This record gives sequence, structure tokens and C-alpha cells, in this order.
Amino acid sequence: MTAPRTTLALLLFAPLAFFAAFFVAPMVVVALSSIIADDGALTTAHYARILLDQYHWDVLWVTFRIALLTTLICMLVGFPLAWYLVRIVRWRAWRRACVILIIVPLFTSNIVRSFGWMVLLGRTGLVNQGLMGLGLTERPIRFLGTETGILIGLVYILVPFVVLTVGNALAKIDTAYEEASADLGVGPARTFWFVTLPLTLPGAVSGAIMVFALAVSAYVTPALLSGGQITVFSMLIFQQYSSVFDFHYGAALSITLLVLTLILVTVAGRIGEGRKPA
Amino acid sequence: MIARFLIRIVALAALAYLVLPLVVIVGASLTETSYLAFPPQGLTLKWFGVLFDDPSYVSAFVTSTLLALAATVVAIVLAIPASLALARYVFAGREAISSLLMSPLVLPYVVLGAALLQFGSAIGLARSFEALLVGHVVIVMPFVLRSVLPLLTPEQRALEEASMDLGATPVATFFLVVLPQIRGGIVSGGLLAFISSWINVELSIFNTSSALNTIPVKMFNYVQYTIDPTIAAVSAITIVAAALVIILLDLLIGLDMLSESRRP
Repeated sequence: MTAPRTTLALLLFAPLAFFAAFFVAPMVVVALSSIIADDGALTTAHYARILLDQYHWDVLWVTFRIALLTTLICMLVGFPLAWYLVRIVRWRAWRRACVILIIVPLFTSNIVRSFGWMVLLGRTGLVNQGLMGLGLTERPIRFLGTETGILIGLVYILVPFVVLTVGNALAKIDTAYEEASADLGVGPARTFWFVTLPLTLPGAVSGAIMVFALAVSAYVTPALLSGGQITVFSMLIFQQYSSVFDFHYGAALSITLLVLTLILVTVAGRIGEGRKPA
Repeated sequence: MIARFLIRIVALAALAYLVLPLVVIVGASLTETSYLAFPPQGLTLKWFGVLFDDPSYVSAFVTSTLLALAATVVAIVLAIPASLALARYVFAGREAISSLLMSPLVLPYVVLGAALLQFGSAIGLARSFEALLVGHVVIVMPFVLRSVLPLLTPEQRALEEASMDLGATPVATFFLVVLPQIRGGIVSGGLLAFISSWINVELSIFNTSSALNTIPVKMFNYVQYTIDPTIAAVSAITIVAAALVIILLDLLIGLDMLSESRRP
């Protein structure tokens, strides 16, 4: 339906004005600031500094590698859990309890959850005690300050998003499709691969994109679990703004992270759309 | 079937993984030792007493709650008209506006926090409650939009038209017909918005100061230097609060969103 202009203007004025003032304008300020030198002239020096320094490439690589692995592991852990809750659990009360168990961490701050892992993954933490008790390792494994530690924490924080988006997609699928497939003599594995999975894919892709975007820009979890040993991109930005006070350079770093994230998210979104079930 | 058995094992392991850190924190907050111990050694509530005697914790708690409440209310007020416009009408720029309003979901919070600090310093808004508030509204609005938009269906539109045809004014129609139909979305979206604001660190950290602090930022600054039972006690409070809110919600509106509810 085409709308009367006045109705649209009335409805959209406040939200758009708010977003223009406190979202678009600040981002424009950052974008401009990233190409301005201290004396006010236009410059590409801040970006050159990022691109020409091997250190930044290393940090970017670590950041994106962690985000990709996080997304992958989240799918591997989250998909079975969603499947279990939607398709296997028959006892309503237990499913309800499980959903609550999945949402409670989501409603708890990243700090608290990362802090929990700091305690668990320490030299004398429960995880090392358990591994040594089972005889899997002789001496404590170092988790804190390693990528493994960061991964454990990030997957933990982000896996509920996958469970909820995939679970929702699975719950919406009419099981008649799968029954029809089975009636036509298709085995369960092929039914899963050719019927269920494509139907779940849009939900799974949107969950994965969200997880990836959050993992790339995560600050708290890597900061707490890296113990200062590993730097991810968001830490560079925070350092510039909070301790170095080089806003122009910080702005260039911000825009770099933003552009890279948006490119990857868009590409992933396209891939998800392109695979819609025929 | 083997596949089913494997899925069950992975799922139960994943559930244990989700619960473990929370159990450890709550347990560690009860220890009598002055260092963090799990399993706790002895049982005491003294670390919770330490918190309530510390005015800086109390004020951070109040700031966080007011901030989350204000951000949620503003986001709901802005999101309702926006969802009506987006769900109802086809117009030039509709897609662009929709992506703009949703983009905070994928935008790095650190980047937005930095932008608000830089922009805020220019217009005299930095490191104030207002600076925190506008940022939080921006990041929580997508949650409200996402839960309200799907409820504005053609069937809902038909009821609205019926109301208007019967002579109700647009305002009466909104409050008597539209609002009751999207209430569920407002409640669940608003709740997600409140929580996301209450637990946010990445955005808030740029605009907090020692005088104006939110509870998660205060905890973050503390945890980086010291781990002790006090911090476990603050954490335990937030975990128990989250669990109570969720159980309450489950009893009120039912959170069994993963069941095959589409079947009559």
C-alpha cells in the first residue's frame, strides 16, 4: 500500500530524527575524524599507518580467526542442542527447564560469564583439576592468555543465539515435509540433508551472522580471558580512546573494523539468501 | 538410533557447559576464605554484606537500573511508530530505513561507544547519563522492532480497518485495537532491551567515569585487577536476579518458544 505522506512523516519523524542525531551523526563524526590530521587538513595518514604496520594485520588475523572459529563451533554445539530440544525432548517440563538454562546466561553480563571462565580455567581451576583427575594431562594446561581460552569463553557467550535462532526455525518447519520425504522412501540422513537442513538454513545463517558480528567486535571476553597476552581489534580501539587519546587514529581503526565486519556480514547474508530452498 | 543418541549426548554436554560457570560463581561467592575458592570452603553470606555496605556498588546498581529502564521506555516509544510505518506501507527508502534501524545489531558496540564519546565531547554530552542513555536507546531499539514487526500482520491490519470503519478515531483504534495485539511483542522486546542495556559494557565503558558508573563497567574494571569473593558476590546477585526474572516470565507468558506450538 502506498501511504499518505503525512502519516508516514508522523510515524517516522521521531525514530529517524533520533537515529540521525545519535547514531548517524556520531558515525559521520568518526568517519570524518579518521581522515583529518591534527592540523585540520585532509589526510590518509591514519589509514596508511594501519595498513603499513604488520602488527595490525596480525591483530586483524587473530580477531577474524577467533570469530570464524567461534561461529563454527557455536553451530556445531548449538545445532544439536536445538535439535534435541525441538525434536527429541518429549517431556514439556524438561524442555522448559532447558530453555530457561539457555536464556539465563544470555541475561547475565559478559563480565560475569567471562569471570566464571577465568575461575574455571585457571591453573588450579575446576577444568584443570578435572583433566588431571581423569589422567588426561599430567600438569595444568594453560588456558588463560591463549586463544583456546578466548574461544571457550566466546563460544559460551554466543551459543545461546544459535540455539534460539536454529530452534525457532526448526520448530516452525511443518514435520509433514519430513514425513512426506520418508513416505517416498528417502532415508533419514538424506531427508535431513535435502529437506530439513535447507528449511532451517535461513534461521541458521541469521544466527551465524549475529554470532560472527558479535565475536569480531567482542571486547570484554577477550580482554578478560587473554590476560593481556592476546590483542584483538576492539582492544586497539579502546586503547586509543581511553589511554593514548589519539581520537583520529582510533577513528580510523573503528572505521576499519566496521567496514570489514559489514563486508563479511553482507557476504554471509547473500550466501544465506542464495540457498533458499527451491 | 545412533544419530539420536549422539545428539542427546552433545546436547546434554552443551547444557552442562552452559550451567557450569554460573554454578561456580554462585558457589565461590559463599566461601569463607578471602580468596576465591570452588568448591567453597565453609558457607557464609559475609561477602554480600560487604557489597551492601559499599555506596559505590549501590550507586552503580541504581544507575544501571535507571539507565536500562529509561532506554527501554524511549526505545519502545520510538519503535512502535517505526514498526507501524515499516509493516504497513510501501515507500521509497523503506528498505534503507529498515536496515538503518536494525544495523546496531551488527555494529561493533566498541565502535559506537567510541563514536558517541567523540561526538559527545564535541557537543558537551560526553560522560553523562544522557550520553549513556542515547547510546543505549540506539542499541536496544532493534530488539523491540524485531519482536513487534512480525505481529503487524495483514489480519491485524484488517481488525484495525474494521475499527476505523465502525467509527473509532485513529487514537482510540491505536489504544484499543493495535496496542493490545502487539503487547506480547512489546513485553518480550522490551525485556530483551532492558537486559541488553543492563548488562552492556562495550558501549557504556566510553561514557562512564568514577562518579558515574554502571554495575557491569564497575565489575569489569575490578575483575581486571583483582579476583576475590566480593566480585563473585556481585556476579551471583546478577545471576540469581536473571534467573528469577526468567522464571517469573516463564510463569507469566510462557517461554517455551521452542516447542512445536504451531500445531493446534
